[in-house]
Amino acid sequence: MPHILVIEDDEITAREIVLELAAHGISADRVHNGRQGFERALEPRYDAITLDLMLPGMDGLTLVKQLREQGISTPVLMISALGDVDERVRGLRAGGDDYLTKPFAPDEMAARIEVLLRRHQQKHPAQTRLRVADLELDMITRTACRGARELTLLPTEYRLLEFLMRYPGQVLTRAMIFESVWGLRFDPGTNLIDVHIARLRRKVDNEGDPPLIRTVRGSGYRLG
Amino acid sequence: MASPAKGWSIHWRNTTSRLLLAYGVFFVIWGTVLFGFIYWETRHYLENRTGMQLKQQVSYLRSLDQEHMMVALNDYVVLEATNYNAWGLFDAGGKWLYGDILQMPPGVQPDLVTLRLPTEQVVSGPLAPKTPAISVIAVRLHNGQILVLAHSTRIAARVGGIIWHALWWGLSFTLVPGLIGGLILNRAPRRRIRQIESATQLIMQGDLHRRLPVSNRGDELDRLAAIVNDMLDQIERLMGEVKGVCDNIAHDLRTPLTRLRSQLYRVEQQMGEEDPHAALIERCVSDIDEVLARFRALLRISELEDRRRREGFIAVDLGQTLEHVHELYAPLAEDQSLHFAMETEPGLLAQADPDLLFEAIGNLVSNAIKFTPQGGSVALSAKRVGPDMAQLEVADSGPGIPEEQRQAVWQRFYRGEGGLDTAAGHGLGLSIVAAIAKLHDFELRIEGGRGGTRMVMTCRLL
Repeated sequence: MPHILVIEDDEITAREIVLELAAHGISADRVHNGRQGFERALEPRYDAITLDLMLPGMDGLTLVKQLREQGISTPVLMISALGDVDERVRGLRAGGDDYLTKPFAPDEMAARIEVLLRRHQQKHPAQTRLRVADLELDMITRTACRGARELTLLPTEYRLLEFLMRYPGQVLTRAMIFESVWGLRFDPGTNLIDVHIARLRRKVDNEGDPPLIRTVRGSGYRLG
Repeated sequence: MASPAKGWSIHWRNTTSRLLLAYGVFFVIWGTVLFGFIYWETRHYLENRTGMQLKQQVSYLRSLDQEHMMVALNDYVVLEATNYNAWGLFDAGGKWLYGDILQMPPGVQPDLVTLRLPTEQVVSGPLAPKTPAISVIAVRLHNGQILVLAHSTRIAARVGGIIWHALWWGLSFTLVPGLIGGLILNRAPRRRIRQIESATQLIMQGDLHRRLPVSNRGDELDRLAAIVNDMLDQIERLMGEVKGVCDNIAHDLRTPLTRLRSQLYRVEQQMGEEDPHAALIERCVSDIDEVLARFRALLRISELEDRRRREGFIAVDLGQTLEHVHELYAPLAEDQSLHFAMETEPGLLAQADPDLLFEAIGNLVSNAIKFTPQGGSVALSAKRVGPDMAQLEVADSGPGIPEEQRQAVWQRFYRGEGGLDTAAGHGLGLSIVAAIAKLHDFELRIEGGRGGTRMVMTCRLL
């Protein structure tokens, strides 16, 4: 079971994070201030950290910077009340892995933590092929096939499928998809991502096949 | 705004010039009256003097006997440059006897009263004076004959001439330098008015941080500028407060709404797929999501408006950006059976924040797709329009935006009338575009008529 360190001084937010993570089968320890958080983060038993940027004792940016200087590569999800683009860039530059603006939907936070956990595990083996059920993706030839049927994908569709296949069985929100596949962080309108997914789905899930791309109500999508 | 007067008329459209003009007119009138009075007085005096002289002379001549009188009369006619004398002797019936005056001038009575008559009624011939009028006096001699003396002097006319000359030169020497000086003095205030005008223009374009220039002279323009600046401070503060209140509402409501959303979401997760309330809860969640999206957009506009730094700007290939936007929105256009075309030129590089530029064009495209009926067309294009200018264009075959609404669509929460708001959208997309364009100093305008809209963004190239 993954173990998370929650560094958050706000009582309500902290409780929400811990509760939501528990609902996803992730246990969490909670720390109130920056200095204490830094000491705990040095322990190797945490799989990921959620970090509030405005903390008493030591601010989040300094904390993550010092953590990286110490050679600790535990993935960090930064959480801040500041939605400023510059603030986000500064956070990621200091060594954060993802950035979430308060207030956030807890399921979005949990989905991001899960992706961070998965990405951290995947780092070591250099994969060239991804496989989910009978769906297979070759990252060298940039081709995909479902069973024996080869899929003809447009470049965008390929990137989208690759992202979905990297995190199988995991909820991916529309914002996460938009950020990862297109590298953009704005509100692209209500159904833009849905339309892209629908196209990919038409190619991946033929009639008769068990559907692989599933819609998760109120959240996003999940492969497998 | 009234168009500023051009050319010469602008010289007269200010306080100083008007004052100067009024003063000039007053000065001319007053000078003319004064000199006219002096002229009139002088003339009156000279004429009186002539009359007195004539009376004395005629009385003296009358007292002489016939012989002496004739000698004296011959002496009386003296040709001078300035004076002219003439006489005539008539019998009791008015018949000419001797002298240069060949007939009784009309209206003259032998009653020792000096009359002013037109010269040609009294004397004529080459020796006659050039003056228009002549003084005439008549007296009855002891023998019943009538002696008529005429005298004219050009001194009065000379004096009049001198006075008019003095008036003319006086006015010229006062008015001409006065007017020139006025024009020169006017130049400085006019230059400052122009500075104020350009500063105001920037403020009207939305740069509320700007102020009118105030010099250290402390004159009325400075006082006025200072008053306007105080007013601008106040306006800026109030606008800031309004924006702050809006932002605070958006900001503060986000937290409870997010919490409400997560609670509903949790309820939804615990419900079975077949629960009849699940769909209802799902709709609630998506409604809240929409409200939250609006708040995010509002705060985003504020963030963009506040941002004055351009650190994130790099050289961006406009054609490539357009291609990426096209790629992102192509499936959406296809779903609506729209013809989605693109035309770009290579090598259009502009200084921009790539993500924001993408967002702006994306919003325009999303809007165009939203408002174009099925089977219509949306076209993207990027082309060079000058040596360092390029034009990005998003054209659609939708209903078009009426002239009078084109300014308003960039404002927050504006949505077109006539059923357009049945389509999803919170009306903030174009405000975000406007904020991004402003941050980049890109000009944004709407063209096209009934047959569609063309959103045009003019960018300065590197």
